[in-house]
Amino acid sequence: MVDQVSRCDPHVVARTNKSMEQAPTQALSEALCKVAQLRDKRAFAMLFEYFAPKIKRFGIKQFGNEALAMELVQDTLTTVWRKAHLYHPERGAATTWVYTVMRNASFDALRKIKSNKEEHLSEDIWPLLQEEQSSEDGFSDHLEDQKIQEHIGKLPPAQQDVVKGVYFQQMSQEQLAEQLDIPVGTVKSRLRLALQKLRAEMGDSND
Amino acid sequence: MIKHHPSEQLLSQYSKGELPATLCMAVSAHLDFCSCCKDKVAALELNQASSAFGENEGTSDLDDFSDMFAQITQNEDIYQAKPFHNEPLSYQNKRVVLPRAIASSSRSKFVQLGKLARARLNIDDGELRASLLQIDASGEIPHHTHTGFELTLLLDGEFSDENGSYVPGDFIWLDGKHHHQPVTMEGCLCFTVVNSALHFNKGLSKLLNPIGNLIY
Repeated sequence: MVDQVSRCDPHVVARTNKSMEQAPTQALSEALCKVAQLRDKRAFAMLFEYFAPKIKRFGIKQFGNEALAMELVQDTLTTVWRKAHLYHPERGAATTWVYTVMRNASFDALRKIKSNKEEHLSEDIWPLLQEEQSSEDGFSDHLEDQKIQEHIGKLPPAQQDVVKGVYFQQMSQEQLAEQLDIPVGTVKSRLRLALQKLRAEMGDSND
Repeated sequence: MIKHHPSEQLLSQYSKGELPATLCMAVSAHLDFCSCCKDKVAALELNQASSAFGENEGTSDLDDFSDMFAQITQNEDIYQAKPFHNEPLSYQNKRVVLPRAIASSSRSKFVQLGKLARARLNIDDGELRASLLQIDASGEIPHHTHTGFELTLLLDGEFSDENGSYVPGDFIWLDGKHHHQPVTMEGCLCFTVVNSALHFNKGLSKLLNPIGNLIY
């Protein structure tokens, strides 16, 4: 672990992998949605057939042990079956989602081998798998949250950026001004206009 | 503006689940502040997913799995997420919501020494120790060198050292080559991960130094 400080440059990571194009991305994604919505066993069978041998191969590489590899297959696919509703096709490919499920299961399994504890730390470390963090003060009601998102979606794009930056990415107004390359005063006035509009739309009870 | 980020290597190890738990927590917490690194991790996961799942070769040993399939699908329950209540942490008359990866771990009470206070996270991670560290306004940590490594993630407030000033989200990795003397004007709250085994190698001087003991 050398040279731990680096610039954050998004261009560095903009590599794509060709082999992905050969994977039946669309079909897998649809199958996963069917599992989520209909508990569709046939769709799950298709996912199972595609992923199980690959997860096993990954597990053998990871643990050097067939029994543990089979446990990884079981853990991963159980999660896929039971948490399919947490997959959002608009946020990425099914293969990536299943990969993160497998990575988490593998991380927890390795911790279990090392510390002999059943902890499931991965759920808190990789938030991708979770439903939106709905527990923070004021945003505890999921429906309410959705309603707010909907209203925010109706704002002009410039105002949306400001609201999202301040309330969802927790940036300061100064940081946001720098990132959007506009004066702080503009951030403040956009935010004020946006909040006025939201308030008018949703009623004052949501202050 | 966050200027200090985890290295490409750390992000890659994080996305593969190959880092020790406490460092995973630190990177995860950094991602809560830094959408840019978050995008990088998403890109890495996409790449790894395609190398693990991309190629489409024969699946001859499918029969091995039929029992497992039956067993998994027998359970029709949908997973109900346990609500995670993230209780804000009170420090220096402020309330701060900690990143989930850090907040979810239990920790000891804060132990105070002068302007420093430290709470250890209760997580077994080999020779790594993770803590929350508070420094009161106008506090400083005496000049010190790192024998192992010290990772500091600034969670709230500000501090500065010889290399500049830091804002929440900054991910500061220091090892034996570096020495520094952090000072804070307004006070700050940090998450730290240190490698204690290497520290102990340094011997008596640190053990005699109560501040050294407190922060490590």
